[in-house]
Amino acid sequence: MTGVPTQPAGSEVRSTNRGAGRALVAVYGIFALAATARASVQLLTRFEQAPLAYLLSALAGVIYVVATITLARGTHTSRRIALIAIIIELVGVVSVGTLSVLYPEAFPRATVWSAYGIGYGFVPLILPIVGLAWLWHTRAS
Amino acid sequence: MIEALAYVVIALAGVAVIWGLVTAVANKPPGKAQLLFAAGVEIVTVVQSIIAAAKLVAGARPVELATTIAYLIGIVILIPIAWLWANVERSRFSGMVLAVAALGVLAMTLRLLVLWAPAS
Repeated sequence: MTGVPTQPAGSEVRSTNRGAGRALVAVYGIFALAATARASVQLLTRFEQAPLAYLLSALAGVIYVVATITLARGTHTSRRIALIAIIIELVGVVSVGTLSVLYPEAFPRATVWSAYGIGYGFVPLILPIVGLAWLWHTRAS
Repeated sequence: MIEALAYVVIALAGVAVIWGLVTAVANKPPGKAQLLFAAGVEIVTVVQSIIAAAKLVAGARPVELATTIAYLIGIVILIPIAWLWANVERSRFSGMVLAVAALGVLAMTLRLLVLWAPAS
């Protein structure tokens, strides 16, 4: 850390958008951009090929966008929304990851969460864990 | 898209990633040279996207046209956003933010090379 106080004295909650949080927001931002762009293309051009996979991609994209914005805002309310979004993200990547390994025929096209995000270097699996750890780290003391 | 230029982007972005990580580990905010270098990476990336757009207009058709267009737009907005975001709070993590954005540019350019290759 910088050693410079980034919050006024007496502040209850350490903001999620300070320090290491900025790097976390950057990673979330890239996934928000990548997942929503990819899902938009898939839904618009070939929805009928794999509706489940493409809708899940779109859901993942929306969750990344919400997490990016709420972590970047860093207010009390946005922390709660970020927490919900990141929990959904974790449940999503674990359940879709497991299902895509057990029932590959249900996912004829890859989603960002297929096989625990193997197509994205497993970052989709690590990201929600880091996100939750960061929310815990910056919680009200 | 020009393949040689894509490799230049990949190499420059790779240097930006390492530079960002080094300043983060050294607990320093990004210096002026580093920010100028990031701007240089951005300029080369923009040139590449403009050339690719011109080739698309001229009739080049990659297999996944829509995805290619999305990526060509995506790679030019990452570094400017990271630049602004890194400058609001200047700390070691500003360098991390630049590194993350440059890594995104690197990955998307690699993907673009794959998408562009079987153009017919």
